[in-house]
Amino acid sequence: MASIDFSAPLDGVVVVDASTGLGSYCGRLLADLGAQVHRVGSDRFASPHRASFMNAGKIAASHDCDVIGLLAGAHLLVTDEGPAELTDRGLSPNAVAAAHPALVHVAISPFGMDGPYADRPATDLTLLAAGGLLALAGDPDRAPVRAWGEQTSVIAGTHAAVAALIALDVLEVSGVGQFVDVSVQEAVAHSLENAAQYLDLEGVTRRRVGAGPREAGTGLFTCRDGFVYLVGGLGGSPLAWDQIVAWLDDAGVANARELADGRWEDSTWRRSTEAVELFREQFESFADSRTKRDLVGQGQRRGISIAPVATPEDLLRDPQLLERSFFRTVDMDGHDVLLPGSPYRFRYSDVQPRAGSTPAAGRSLPCSAPSR
Amino acid sequence: MQRTFPLSGVRVADFSWVGAGPFLTKPLADHGADVVKVESRQRRDPIRSMAPFRDGERGPDRSGYFANRNTSKRSLCLDLKDPRGRDLALRLISTSDVVVNNFSPGTMDRLGLGYDAAREVRPGVVYLEMPMIGRAGPHHGWRGYGLTIAAAGGLLGLTGYPDRPPVGTGTNFPDHVPNPLHGAVAVLAALRKRRRTGQGEYIELAQLESTANVIGPALVAAAAGDAPVRDGNRDDLAAPHGVYPCAGDDSWCAIAVVTDDQWSGLCRVLWDERWDEPALAGADGRRRNSGRLDELVAGRTRSWVADDLARALTDAGVPASEVLHADALMLDAQLRARGHWEVLDHPVMGPSVYDAIPYRLSATPGALRSPAPLLGADSEAVCVDLLGLDAAEYRQLEEEGVVG
Repeated sequence: MASIDFSAPLDGVVVVDASTGLGSYCGRLLADLGAQVHRVGSDRFASPHRASFMNAGKIAASHDCDVIGLLAGAHLLVTDEGPAELTDRGLSPNAVAAAHPALVHVAISPFGMDGPYADRPATDLTLLAAGGLLALAGDPDRAPVRAWGEQTSVIAGTHAAVAALIALDVLEVSGVGQFVDVSVQEAVAHSLENAAQYLDLEGVTRRRVGAGPREAGTGLFTCRDGFVYLVGGLGGSPLAWDQIVAWLDDAGVANARELADGRWEDSTWRRSTEAVELFREQFESFADSRTKRDLVGQGQRRGISIAPVATPEDLLRDPQLLERSFFRTVDMDGHDVLLPGSPYRFRYSDVQPRAGSTPAAGRSLPCSAPSR
Repeated sequence: MQRTFPLSGVRVADFSWVGAGPFLTKPLADHGADVVKVESRQRRDPIRSMAPFRDGERGPDRSGYFANRNTSKRSLCLDLKDPRGRDLALRLISTSDVVVNNFSPGTMDRLGLGYDAAREVRPGVVYLEMPMIGRAGPHHGWRGYGLTIAAAGGLLGLTGYPDRPPVGTGTNFPDHVPNPLHGAVAVLAALRKRRRTGQGEYIELAQLESTANVIGPALVAAAAGDAPVRDGNRDDLAAPHGVYPCAGDDSWCAIAVVTDDQWSGLCRVLWDERWDEPALAGADGRRRNSGRLDELVAGRTRSWVADDLARALTDAGVPASEVLHADALMLDAQLRARGHWEVLDHPVMGPSVYDAIPYRLSATPGALRSPAPLLGADSEAVCVDLLGLDAAEYRQLEEEGVVG
């Protein structure tokens, strides 16, 4: 390449983001990629940290701006409400298309824009339930438990961004605008691993099983400062088992050599309660006095799959992430905010979290129309 | 009539396997890209050997886990360790717009199929790799699986009951959502830039970094000294907010009350005179008393059938849903009305259930264009029609186990 063009991949793309919470991650992804994202309306975040994360790179517009008017200069509109609420706001797909045929309207909604539940009220928790992911999470003796952090916003936002970019390509190549109907319930149902297929093919309904598969050597183990996740076997077959036994033996764990017995190759034994508990006792007696970082460093050097159960603070101090300058400081509403870097690194393009403003800051702004 | 799809004309040389990579290339394939999945009979995609299997019987063409991630793709078997196999892979790259792999760092370079080799035969290629924690950095050689990425990325530790060790989502969540879909977003954005500038791209998606973004708000909070902790189903805004027991075995209803109107709605459906106290009249009071409130609500929900309760509550304006297991999910009125479950007739597995694309483009919709390919089903078509081998050459290489 003679001279490299380092511009952002979505340079020149204008987005009007009229989301209220559920759809906010879609616009955030587009902003990192260089789209000009105008944020209209308010969002429902309880946490200022969530508001900062979701609005990075977005430009807050005044609350009383006429959204339809702003769309004249836009390529994409992102909304995240059901059909009745959208109609109330004057943003029904038909109204938008009538006013702006050469626009992509990405309509994220709880259940999709049609069907009997289309206008059912919903939140993150109820959509995880309606999409089947909640049923898979938790201990069997307790109620199902939701994933931290309103993951429906990530699930919906990533699918919606994929759809938006496909439709953007059509718009830019052929001038055809369209409406993209993203159902959060369907997006959640799309992330059940193999639960639908288990039922269809083997007649088995998967249920919640706690922190993971029940097999000796695999799962969560307590250590001095928290937990580590060890994978010492998968599908009933041992993984790096000799290395694990040698590790414990070298550390002087009494009876570690017992784990070298042939029965630890046997999948029935490995999945028995007795084996699971026996291994746990041995490993935790060793891990009890060691930190996550020590255990993971030593284990990985021996070729063992072991990871820290990282807290947010651990991640902020993680040597790998720091060495790679993962965290970025950007200006949000006039304050420095530390954000994780973008999910991907482009070698030849400007892709990163950018300065932005939250809807709270937009209250005092005049309306200004974006332009392509 | 042959439909045209929005990504018709885009070709993807897909060296990815197992969980995350195949879900990255699936939306491209379902919207018309020609995704050629490269495997070999010696080293086939491990997910072909993962349950569930049609009728419980194992076999490389019987896994539902594999099938649901690989619709609309073609399968090419190549022995990449053989120089002639490698040469065919390079020929495939030379006619592809996108190359994707999720091998451990350096694997593609050692095979002679790294980015430099790829752009030599295909200037302007968009090349994406997805190492676990990055190609460089002090821990770049670390090994792991979907479950360990959820642990290292922070989602596992934050998800679970406050008084117990974490439990996570019960799935390899990073493999199903953030890592593949962030990857697809990146590829599509890079293709847009290439259309406008002619310039290709090298994209590194470190799975740890991608996954850390799903708890992004927690990282922002921790940096501000306000780190969240594991808190079950409790919510910052809503109370009551939880998963409540209903009539029957392991039957539950998720309920979220955010506003006073929703509280009134809940009271209309589940009224109990013990709720009639000033402390519960406002949202702040309900949040402060959320533990006791949960018990009160659970006391009323136990006599309800979960689906009836969800209908009554949502009719009253309260966000609610039965906790659907796969059996109920398949029969869910909304998913059925939306056509979410599609049945495709797979040549070995027979009619089988697949997830539909969870979004519809009104003018240029995608489709599950074909069920998952049998191992090597398209080897001959790709080698002869696309890569220009003549039939005799193909037979020869097939006999020697290089293709097929």
